[in-house]
Amino acid sequence: MSNINGKVYAMNAITPMKPWKTWIVRGILFLLGHFKSLRQDVVNLSFIEFARWVVLPRRGFPFLGNGQVKENLQYDYLLFFSNFNGTWNQYIDAFSAVLSKGLNLIWRWSEKFPGSVPVTLFKQYIALLQFDTDYYYSAYPHATANDIESAHIVQSSFDQLASIAEQSSPQQFADAYLRFVLQVQCHIGATGDAPVAG
Amino acid sequence: MPNKNGSVYGLTILSPIIDDDKATPSHDLQIRDYLAKLSTREDSPFAVAPGTHLARLVVLDDVIYVGMPACEEHLRSKYLIFESNCDGDLDGYLHGLADTIGDHLDAIWKHCVGYPGASNRQAFIDYMKACQLDTTFYFAAVNDKSVEETLRALQTQTAVADFIATHQGADPATLQREFIQFAAQLRARPIPRPGSMGPLRDIKTGGHNE
Repeated sequence: MSNINGKVYAMNAITPMKPWKTWIVRGILFLLGHFKSLRQDVVNLSFIEFARWVVLPRRGFPFLGNGQVKENLQYDYLLFFSNFNGTWNQYIDAFSAVLSKGLNLIWRWSEKFPGSVPVTLFKQYIALLQFDTDYYYSAYPHATANDIESAHIVQSSFDQLASIAEQSSPQQFADAYLRFVLQVQCHIGATGDAPVAG
Repeated sequence: MPNKNGSVYGLTILSPIIDDDKATPSHDLQIRDYLAKLSTREDSPFAVAPGTHLARLVVLDDVIYVGMPACEEHLRSKYLIFESNCDGDLDGYLHGLADTIGDHLDAIWKHCVGYPGASNRQAFIDYMKACQLDTTFYFAAVNDKSVEETLRALQTQTAVADFIATHQGADPATLQREFIQFAAQLRARPIPRPGSMGPLRDIKTGGHNE
């Protein structure tokens, strides 16, 4: 079991919801998906590489026959999967501090959700609902979400400079190179080993 | 479509695990045992197969009881969850998995109800789709770059940092000549293999709140 691979942490959580509340959650997540301004805080947090919520209706569990017994559940379930950088405590702290309204809006429909503030009860709730990852793969485990975003900025600027390098005079190139360095100077930090959480 | 964000696809699969009293060890334990021994580096099946940014496999033992006054209920099957963030369309991705890592897929999913095997492509794809859950909301920080583009960009980022550091104060003619040479070398350099730049960790850790 490992929830961590390099600089990425895999979180899985499952919460029960009364079926009539599911439609409210679906509506909220629909709005979140369609209005960029509503998810700006998540973008600004900039340590989430990928995340998803999945509403799983009580009759929506895959049933394949072949001796499988059909589920008989009273609750719908909300699954949450996140791939984030940093430690579990940093993640929950940041969520609670920055996204408390948004999280409350999504999770308040789950049974016994205590609210994301104060953070102590929120952490207890998440710890109860979390289940561990058995296998976790990343194509670029040494890189954080910020590293990846920065790397693409560097690549784009680099390609532009490379495309004019041979046609320019030395002085024109030197000027373009200076502009390039100014563009990328905030994006060229090295991606070293992940810090040890403790 | 919520399963897609830009060019990235968020695949969620929930496969019921065979419940057989006579199986020793139980099928869920056999899955866990296999996954525990599977590499997460460049020889990971997901590094060999094309198009996976991040993926996880998780055995869901049961739903969680949150306490009174909620009702306590339990699942009748255990489920294998496959969560993947991948490039392109679903059919292409599943074909890529079946073409390149069929043995691993079979070793894992043979413990799941109704799994037809990866060699029967259409049955495999139909099975995976039958087990797929639609994502309700999907977030991707970078949603318009492939795995290869990201690995190349990370390689470029490091190389550019070194180039800038070693060419401070260079005269324009030298700077231009060496940059052209550097750019050509960088373009010719092979893209790092997926998963190859991760940490070497013999002991896997990472509990709930590490």
